Amino acid sequence: MSAAITAAPPRARPFGRRFGRGLKGLAGVLLLLGAWQASVPLVGMSSYFYPSPADVIVAFADLVRKGILPVYLADSMIRYLTGLTIGALLGVGLGVLIGLHRTASLALSPLFRFLFAIVEVAWIPIFVVWFGYGVKTIVLALIYVVFFPVLYNTLLGVRTAPQLLVNAVRSLGGSRLQVLRLVILPSALPGIITGLRVGAGFAFRGLVFAEIVAAKTGIGYLIFEGTQSQQTARTIVGMIVMGLLWLAIDQFYLRPIERATIQRWGLTVDAEQQA
Amino acid sequence: MTAATGTQHARRGPAPIAQRRREALWLGTLPFAVALAIWWVLPKLVDYPPYMLPSIAMVLDYAKESVLDGSLAKNIGASLGRLLLGFVIGMALAIPAGLAIALNRHVADMFRPVLSFLQAIAGIAWVPLTIIWFGVGNGSVIFVIANTIFFASLYNTVIGVQSIPLALHRAVRSHGGSGLSLLTNLILPGALVQILLGIRTSMAYGWRALVASEMIAGSNGLGFMTMEAVQWQRTEVIILGMIVIGLIWVVMDRTVFTTIERRTVGRWGLLQR
Repeated sequence: MSAAITAAPPRARPFGRRFGRGLKGLAGVLLLLGAWQASVPLVGMSSYFYPSPADVIVAFADLVRKGILPVYLADSMIRYLTGLTIGALLGVGLGVLIGLHRTASLALSPLFRFLFAIVEVAWIPIFVVWFGYGVKTIVLALIYVVFFPVLYNTLLGVRTAPQLLVNAVRSLGGSRLQVLRLVILPSALPGIITGLRVGAGFAFRGLVFAEIVAAKTGIGYLIFEGTQSQQTARTIVGMIVMGLLWLAIDQFYLRPIERATIQRWGLTVDAEQQA
Repeated sequence: MTAATGTQHARRGPAPIAQRRREALWLGTLPFAVALAIWWVLPKLVDYPPYMLPSIAMVLDYAKESVLDGSLAKNIGASLGRLLLGFVIGMALAIPAGLAIALNRHVADMFRPVLSFLQAIAGIAWVPLTIIWFGVGNGSVIFVIANTIFFASLYNTVIGVQSIPLALHRAVRSHGGSGLSLLTNLILPGALVQILLGIRTSMAYGWRALVASEMIAGSNGLGFMTMEAVQWQRTEVIILGMIVIGLIWVVMDRTVFTTIERRTVGRWGLLQR
């Protein structure tokens, strides 16, 4: 989803053009900051209601100096990665099972469709009743978010595995396990990655929401607590950190992984299917 | 998602359709039956306070009560009304903004980083701030939904315009079309399919944003109803809320989004699955 506004064609651009684009992008950022600063006297409200960029920088320095921000950041990331990992493993496992096993598919598909419709957000109140305000509730919600996109995309990958190759491996004496390892999983991999990427996007918002409701640390808590304690500048620090964090995750982890898998497997599978 | 297209089962001979339907029906309802049975039997086997998991009867009683006194209908109406309003505002802003970005390279270059950043924080993270600005209630929730829908649809609009084949641009141009006629004859209809198909994803984000922001900043609605119940430990309200949230999404998905997909596909034949 946050491939976003970019959607640039995947060919290398000349340096000059990229440089020019970067410069214009920077101008856009500066324009936004300038408009924000200029609007502060126009709005004419207290910094509790409408903090200025300077207030936010001071709050940022304060949060770093007191060591609050690094701790919150680490807590959020640990929760995020734990939820993402468990959710993805469950999604892949059950996706392969449902994709290959007819009875499992008939039995579990309606249940999963029903559970998928109850968005993770709606589970948080009952998780709070069951597990209290804390890490358990947050991680469970994240597992729930990541599970479904990974499951459905894995399923799609498994079901579009070329039957020709399955037959080839079988007729050359390969076991079912070898079919799984050599044909099914590789051809499902682009789907798994797509699912992970979609799930990672939903989960990031889920993380922030779960931390607003059920945490005493973390970026979501920082965003919430800032306004509760009348330190609105802290809330904005939290929002900025959140935005930059997601852009970094997307740029440095999700996209390279996606590119690598699709280059390695995605196209080959297509070619085989057409053959 | 019918199992019949799977790789493994293609080898078996096709079973009679009626028999396969029957099998799908009883296998599909089995997990629900098991879950209900466990739910029903659990209080008799394990001792736990009823607020942890209310009995089925309690949930049904509350369902009846809230239907009869109209409070459930009121909450559903409030949620759906806000969703619709937020959606309309978000789309009304996203389509012109998306067209500007897709059609003008300078605008795109300038705003891409800012918009990517704002998109990354779109939605629920704004709630604490909107509570200060608009107070608890409609204003905050609608702002968050509109904000969420805007960023989800902006992307679809841009993709929609960019996916129009260059040949069509040239065709319109070489017949002397330009400016407004280019916009109304080519770009808007060309981008429309993608915009419509993208509504489902936008709404998936919007629906979550609605429920979540009602939980924190609502004064009524389904999200408010379920979160409020936590304080009073009225788990039967929470469970009813969850079921209703699930059902509404299924109904919206089945009626609105599937219809959009079918209509757009029927007319333009573009669905890719």
